[in-house]
Amino acid sequence: MNVAKSWLRPAAMSLLGTALIAFGPVTASGPAPADAAAATARLPAPPASGTMGFVIDNFAQAIVPGKDACPEGPVLKLRDAYIHGLPPTERERLLRKENEKELDRLWQLTAFGPDNTNVCSQPDAFDPPMLRTVRSKLAWGIDLDGDGGKGAAGESGCAQPDFVSPTGQKGIDNQEYRALGCMLEWRNAEGMPSDQAVGMRQFIASGEWTQVILLHGVDSLVRDDDVTVILGNTPDRPIADSKGNFLRGATFTISEQLPRHRNVLKGRIVDGVLSTAPADIKLTQTWGQGGARDLRGERSLWEYRQGQLRVEFHSDGTLSGVLGGYRPIFDPIISPALGGAGSAIVAGIDCSAALKTIRKLADGLRDPKTGQCQGISSAQQLHAVPAFVNDAPTAKRSAAR
Amino acid sequence: MSRFSTIAAALLAAAALASAPLAVEAAKPAHGFAPPATTIGAQTGQIVAMRRLTESQYRNTIADVFGPDITVAGRFEPIVRPVHELIASGARASSISPTGLERFDAMARIIAGQVFGKDHRDQFVSCTPKNSALADAKCAQQVLTPLGRYLFRRPMTLAEQAFYVRLAGEGAGPAKSFDKGLELALSAMLVSPKFLYVIETAEPDPANPGALRLDNWSRAARLSYMLWNTTPGETLMQAAQAGRLTDQQQLESTAAAMVASPRFEQGLRAFFSDMLLFERFDELAKDPIVYPYFNPDVAQALPEQTLRTITDHLLTRDGDYRQLFTTNRTFMTRALASLYQVPVSKSHGWEAFEFAAGDDRAGLLGQAGFLAMYSHSGRSSPTLRGRAVRELLMCQPVPDPPGNVNFTAVQDTTNKAMPTARSRLSAHASDPACEGCHDITDPIGLPLERFDGIGAWRSTENGARIETFGILDDVKFDGAGGLGATLAGSPEITRCVASRAFEYANAAGPDGVKPVVAALEKAFAAKGYRIRDLFARVASMPESYAAVPTLRHSSSVTAVR
Repeated sequence: MNVAKSWLRPAAMSLLGTALIAFGPVTASGPAPADAAAATARLPAPPASGTMGFVIDNFAQAIVPGKDACPEGPVLKLRDAYIHGLPPTERERLLRKENEKELDRLWQLTAFGPDNTNVCSQPDAFDPPMLRTVRSKLAWGIDLDGDGGKGAAGESGCAQPDFVSPTGQKGIDNQEYRALGCMLEWRNAEGMPSDQAVGMRQFIASGEWTQVILLHGVDSLVRDDDVTVILGNTPDRPIADSKGNFLRGATFTISEQLPRHRNVLKGRIVDGVLSTAPADIKLTQTWGQGGARDLRGERSLWEYRQGQLRVEFHSDGTLSGVLGGYRPIFDPIISPALGGAGSAIVAGIDCSAALKTIRKLADGLRDPKTGQCQGISSAQQLHAVPAFVNDAPTAKRSAAR
Repeated sequence: MSRFSTIAAALLAAAALASAPLAVEAAKPAHGFAPPATTIGAQTGQIVAMRRLTESQYRNTIADVFGPDITVAGRFEPIVRPVHELIASGARASSISPTGLERFDAMARIIAGQVFGKDHRDQFVSCTPKNSALADAKCAQQVLTPLGRYLFRRPMTLAEQAFYVRLAGEGAGPAKSFDKGLELALSAMLVSPKFLYVIETAEPDPANPGALRLDNWSRAARLSYMLWNTTPGETLMQAAQAGRLTDQQQLESTAAAMVASPRFEQGLRAFFSDMLLFERFDELAKDPIVYPYFNPDVAQALPEQTLRTITDHLLTRDGDYRQLFTTNRTFMTRALASLYQVPVSKSHGWEAFEFAAGDDRAGLLGQAGFLAMYSHSGRSSPTLRGRAVRELLMCQPVPDPPGNVNFTAVQDTTNKAMPTARSRLSAHASDPACEGCHDITDPIGLPLERFDGIGAWRSTENGARIETFGILDDVKFDGAGGLGATLAGSPEITRCVASRAFEYANAAGPDGVKPVVAALEKAFAAKGYRIRDLFARVASMPESYAAVPTLRHSSSVTAVR
């Protein structure tokens, strides 16, 4: 059964086509460290309670801009890919205005297979060429396997070349970026926010499972070997100014209602950077906005196996950094997959090619039986502003800014 | 149903108010049966005052008579507030424009339609008409008579009863519906001046020969609208019927019981909303670029925060009125808490909140509602704040500025040479024409300068430290907390609220209260400045019911239609 068609009305397709392609937003400055000593010297003392709260106002899969990242150009949309593969004379004929309907019919046929399958609802049923991938060496992320840039397979992974972060850190594991980072949904024209950046911003600002961070036991923002980090979801809508910027000092309560994901992580602070020990992290992920059949986090989640948080404290009270981990290989395309045929013919996304590329570049969660890696390293860039965070609605107020 | 029929009925009734008295004996019921006990054969009182219902009184009355699920939909023509007085005083001289009457008519039709609609009809129609498509005078009378008693706050006269029963009949015929006839009659009642105005009537005062006093029905309405902000209930109506409200002892016990009731909170909210000019919240607007924390949720919560603080302190805790200016207790919503930069434990609704001892937020003057209201849309205003303290809390009117004042210095909030409001006002007030008034306002408002134009905390302005020293009636202090403590020690605030309470009860101006305010304030002090005692006293003092003839004697009402 075509799952997508069963729950998407045609009228909603174009909207969802845009909304659902948001794998997660984008461009931002990364963990910026120029002069760590000077930066940490400016950090304020933590509150006497040792408790600090934050609301995440940006949660996006970051790209590193630059023409060297995708020298072949961006991943072609289904229509463009079809045209690209035509003989020159046929291409010229179909591109004439009077043949527009014929062209549409022909390229859209490439999105469908036998038995009414399509490239997004049944991506495994197709065997397309791989996507154009990121060719530069730079990416944001975390050295998840701790190989320091050797690109080794590790105990439970598969060997893949590592990236270097724009700040010089070696061993960055972010194969999801390598696989999908040339898609137009990830990488808009230089200087322009991508669809993902816009879409994720809307999702996180909607108040439907916004993310918060709660820190306990913070004695110093420069050095502290034992900090408890709670990363969770809240149903409280962020309070924003007229430009949409989240305002500081609002209160959020981590919900006890399902779906609730409250991750308790063990962290330490070194030179103003908070890092957490690897742990499986789950956060609610929202796709779709409004309507009786919208998803609203019911069908998908952010899942980071062996996930780690690495964020830097800033003197203005904010946090920025990355959340990294291994995502199950289907997760990066779950949004367009849920959009089904709409994602393919409205947004032009070839989910099957994306999945094939992800499988090829998968580097984690190796299945001991098959030897195949079932996870792909990923990194989500985040920024957070001070907030009051209640750990549970019935608990006594537990956080100060 | 004719669109103009209810208005015509209202105009007819209004005309009757000003006409020569009608002999009720001559106005026999059209259907010829005896009136029930809920009517009176004649009303002998002399009209001494008419007060228009406020919007909240109208709404509360409809909810109490017909139930809270009856929707009151429409816009109310506002009652103009006399300068330096209460809206309650303005209600005494408030007319209704033709447009305003049309709005009342529209609301009346909507209300009547609900009352006799399928969801509520059985609550109010206790009889079965002989034919549901025809008029039935006896059944109509049975339905309309008790409703008229509540709406007019006294039993209807026989003539009134006959009039509305006849109206119901005239409406039922063309509509071929008994219920539609009732709707027409009820609509007419609801646009009658006898409903829209509290008509106070007086009788000779046996204790003061030659003088008048409010009669029992008027006293019932006075008590109810003053203390509960709604129409008299059955208990009060029965007390009036039995003549108990002109008995001083029983009047005092009635007033005491009413201020002890939970419903007094509704009355106290109305009083302070009037005293503190809460109608201005409807027009409160701030520049969203300058004040990003100001949003619709905050705007909506501001007056409610103040009212909750007031009623919690004065009623729930039975607190000293003066401590309203020093209390650390208030209430928060999530939206408000972000403005105050404090945490709350709930995502929705209100919760009690207590600022730390010594916090500058103490008291009503540290609340964002007051601070935002008395600021401009893009900057704070020590002058507006100081003036509000003088006028609203101390009952000391401050003159308006002359028309030719140059405000350039105070409006230039980005001037590096004058970075703070204190420095700007200092430059502005160097003009002798301005100095006089600013001397009585700014030393009160400047201590509040650590709160910006929406009441959010700040310690600097344009990078310069904000100084918050101030002076009030020769007492020096610092900050909002200092101002609150100083104000709490000033006899002007207790005298002012006592005066306002009397003005509110009697719809009088400040001049009208002068003869009684000293004694009232003294009694207030003797009771530890408890608001219940103040209102119980106002509600039971003979001066509150002394009536002065204001209309020509020929307007005495024996029966009005």
